[in-house]
Amino acid sequence: MILFYLVLGSVFGFTLSRSGAADYNFIQGMFLFEEFQLYGIIGTAVALTAPSLWLLKRYGRSITGQPLKIENKPGHRGNVYGGILFGIGWSITGMCPGPILVNIGEGKVYALAALAGTLAGAGAFGALYPRLAKPFRLPPLQVGTGEG
Amino acid sequence: MNLILNDLSPWHWAAGGAVISAVTLTLLFVGNRRLGVSTGFENVCSLVVQTPYFTRDALRGTNSWRLPLLGGLLIGGFLSAVVGGGWEPFWDLGMFDAEIGWGNGGKLIWMFGGGLLIGFGTRLAGGCTSGHGIFGLSNLELPSLVSTVSFMAAGVVTTNLIYRLIL
Repeated sequence: MILFYLVLGSVFGFTLSRSGAADYNFIQGMFLFEEFQLYGIIGTAVALTAPSLWLLKRYGRSITGQPLKIENKPGHRGNVYGGILFGIGWSITGMCPGPILVNIGEGKVYALAALAGTLAGAGAFGALYPRLAKPFRLPPLQVGTGEG
Repeated sequence: MNLILNDLSPWHWAAGGAVISAVTLTLLFVGNRRLGVSTGFENVCSLVVQTPYFTRDALRGTNSWRLPLLGGLLIGGFLSAVVGGGWEPFWDLGMFDAEIGWGNGGKLIWMFGGGLLIGFGTRLAGGCTSGHGIFGLSNLELPSLVSTVSFMAAGVVTTNLIYRLIL
């Protein structure tokens, strides 16, 4: 299965690279409302996934016949505040999490600094979780904020 | 507008969205996993950090699929360059070069700072563009709508501050 995830990730990465989703100019163009490209990509992805997901949930099984596991993400104050921090970071770097790795793969040297910052940020979040849990009403540490 | 990478012309947005949807559905139907990238950074942290948050089973149990998925993203970007005009390390940053114009050292600091916000923010929000924006919205989850509106709004404000107000 490792090979399956590697290949799937590669297809995902190649697509992010060629569609403009991992391109600094297209990200700024999206936030400036000058480029439709990213709205088209995300809109198409959601418009196609939503009905397919509904059908797949009705079928209720994976390809091997296992019950489908879809845990909904918990709601908490971090959804808003974390979202805002991430949005600022996305604008600054022109990268969201997937494209950070795609940009490194493409050869963009500065993306290594974005990855270092991201790992440090995620590490800091994990270290501070016990202190953040109460003000942001996060789920228990064992559960986390939501797999994403 | 062309891509910064080798000045390639981008795919049509509908093609990009269709493949991303196919990846999302394949991951669920074959792997029985919901799409999400940002937790993968915690999986990377879990390889070296031994605190309770990073050693919890709910996280470590997903190392076996999230780490290869992250590796695949690197490979996908690499292949994109190789078959699209050639791979070489480069520093081009499009309109950042044209309008802000910092050198390589400045870019590294800028990117590290932005990365801190991405790492901390996505984990506080419980997801990113893929987990909340693609999967969560498609699954009609309210927390995902809240997060997606929050990060899109923050991105719009930040980019407009940088390129329309300050510059």
